[in-house]
Amino acid sequence: MNQLFQEAIIVSILAATMRTMTPLLFSAMGELITQRAGIWNMGVEGTMLTGSFAAYIAATTTGSLWLAVLAAIVAGALMGAIIAFMTATLRVDHFIAGLGLNLLAGGLTLYWFQSYIQGRAQPTFSGFQDVAIPLLSDISVIGPILFSQRALTYVALLTVPLVWFLLYRSRYGLELRCLGENPKALDVKGLSVTARQFAAVMIGSALTGLGGGFLMLGFSDRFLADFTAGRGWIVIVALIAGNWKPKGVLVTVIAFAFLEALATHLQVLGAPVPHQLLLALPYLASIGLLMGVRFRSGQPTRLGIPYKRE
Amino acid sequence: MIRFEPRTERDGLWTAASFAMAVVAGLAVSALLLASTGADVGQVFAALVQGAAGSPKALATTLVKATPIILAGLATVIAFRAQLWSIGQEGQVFAGAMGGYLGGQVLAGMPPLLFFPGVLAFGMAAGMALGWLAAQLRNRFGVNEIISTVMLNYLVIYLLSWLLQGGPWGENGATISYQQSPMLPEEAFLPALFGSNRLHAGVLLPFLAAALCAVVISRTPLGYEIRGLGYNPEALRHKGVNIARTVTIVMMASGALAALAGATELFGVAHRLRADNLIGLGYAGIIVGMIGGLRPLGTVVAGLFFGGLASGAVYMRVLGDVPASLVPAIQGITLFFFLCAGVLARYRVVRVAFQ
Repeated sequence: MNQLFQEAIIVSILAATMRTMTPLLFSAMGELITQRAGIWNMGVEGTMLTGSFAAYIAATTTGSLWLAVLAAIVAGALMGAIIAFMTATLRVDHFIAGLGLNLLAGGLTLYWFQSYIQGRAQPTFSGFQDVAIPLLSDISVIGPILFSQRALTYVALLTVPLVWFLLYRSRYGLELRCLGENPKALDVKGLSVTARQFAAVMIGSALTGLGGGFLMLGFSDRFLADFTAGRGWIVIVALIAGNWKPKGVLVTVIAFAFLEALATHLQVLGAPVPHQLLLALPYLASIGLLMGVRFRSGQPTRLGIPYKRE
Repeated sequence: MIRFEPRTERDGLWTAASFAMAVVAGLAVSALLLASTGADVGQVFAALVQGAAGSPKALATTLVKATPIILAGLATVIAFRAQLWSIGQEGQVFAGAMGGYLGGQVLAGMPPLLFFPGVLAFGMAAGMALGWLAAQLRNRFGVNEIISTVMLNYLVIYLLSWLLQGGPWGENGATISYQQSPMLPEEAFLPALFGSNRLHAGVLLPFLAAALCAVVISRTPLGYEIRGLGYNPEALRHKGVNIARTVTIVMMASGALAALAGATELFGVAHRLRADNLIGLGYAGIIVGMIGGLRPLGTVVAGLFFGGLASGAVYMRVLGDVPASLVPAIQGITLFFFLCAGVLARYRVVRVAFQ
């Protein structure tokens, strides 16, 4: 009996890991595209937050979750356009631009949110439910973990090979990596660096926004201040720790998701530690991870350096 | 047709014009934002001005609101001038209030001339400890200070949450929705200026701190190293400057300034430890420091402006139904246009004939 209980908990933790991984994975793959194009976008947190907010507004006004997904993607792309304008066109310091975007997104979403709920009960929606894949989901242990998840979780897992293919096996990916390693080579060939960085940041940020959107639609039924709670920064940590490679980023994201799932379960099971300590685990782990990670071989050479024609 | 060309030299008038345009654009977009939620733009702006500067009481509130923002802004100036992108101000403000609260317990019963400097020092020490930690993470482990300070912010905020709920500092009977310490004894309130109970003595601190920062940055060897770290760290290293040591000092000084904001807020305004009074002060400081052009004087001006906005928002909320988060929204918008103006100031607009 006790063993059954333990097994159920482990299955539940691993299934939660898959779910928790989903928003981080979308956003991390988006940021990977952005950073491989040489833009060190520190605005992930703001982009995710805007995605979450747009999804919330769309879900509560239209009632359609898929329109909400679309809204999150569009909002993310818009945030990407702002970052691209600041970094690729105006050549503002990348860190400053990202910080500015986070502060702008935090202020705007909170104001719109408070205006939206002013003088009434906060509208809620019911989010995505699990989609059980027939037959496969009946397998014991593996079934509930891998084959009984939200539809977007499967999509998120698909983005990893897709992004890998885009980066390493397509003409566009070659140009994109060139933006991060040697933009001059593109410029000399008469190909516009700015236009390509714009495209990369907007596509990447659209994915990042989708991550924020799933955070809203897959986990919650309402918006709150600081909804994303630092997940955008965890994404950046995952990129560094994953050495800017799709597979490495995937592994780090899963590790973070496992930690978060574990912390939530410990909290529910009533572990004899303050719940604040459990909530703080991902941030502690981030610092520890960055202290341990010393190799930066995958970091794009021109990451964060605005391209200027000399 | 017009074209933008880089300037070889800065032009004072054009710089001023660029930033004036940023102010106008910021106000215009803020008006659009208000209109987007159906608010009466004219009425809101009038209420903001009235609440910021319409009466002696409003001016006092403006000063009180500006105090922590300017202090956190100066913390930003010191760090960013050295190209250290610390955004630990938010957590350091919290740490300053927590350290100050601890100091208040340790030093209780001391005469005011010892008590107040003492508790502020306790607060600043807590902020300096956080700055030191981020500096060590950078120097020894190569951890980017933006990321480490963000993570430290969350850790500090959870620490305060634990101290006030479950930990030793909570008010008896406090529940999750009501996280705060008991009220401080009245003798621990910062003394009031001019007999007004609104205007506490802490409002003098930002001006003293700004003067000190201005002198340190432009007239001392440390200031030279700070500026050098920003312009050309490689050259600084070749001159034999210990970069790691400079980074540590800068991060600790920045932490101390931000923490002073938190301690002042605790003893001057909130009179009890709770997160509500502290949330967002550090981020507002970052905005104010950047809008102030990373200069102490500019930061004071920008801080007074946004302090006025915050004071006006209090008044506005009494009148109408526009949410108080209008202030951070306007801050974010203004920051965006100031960043653009900073670029524009480096270009000249040239008229070119069609060929």
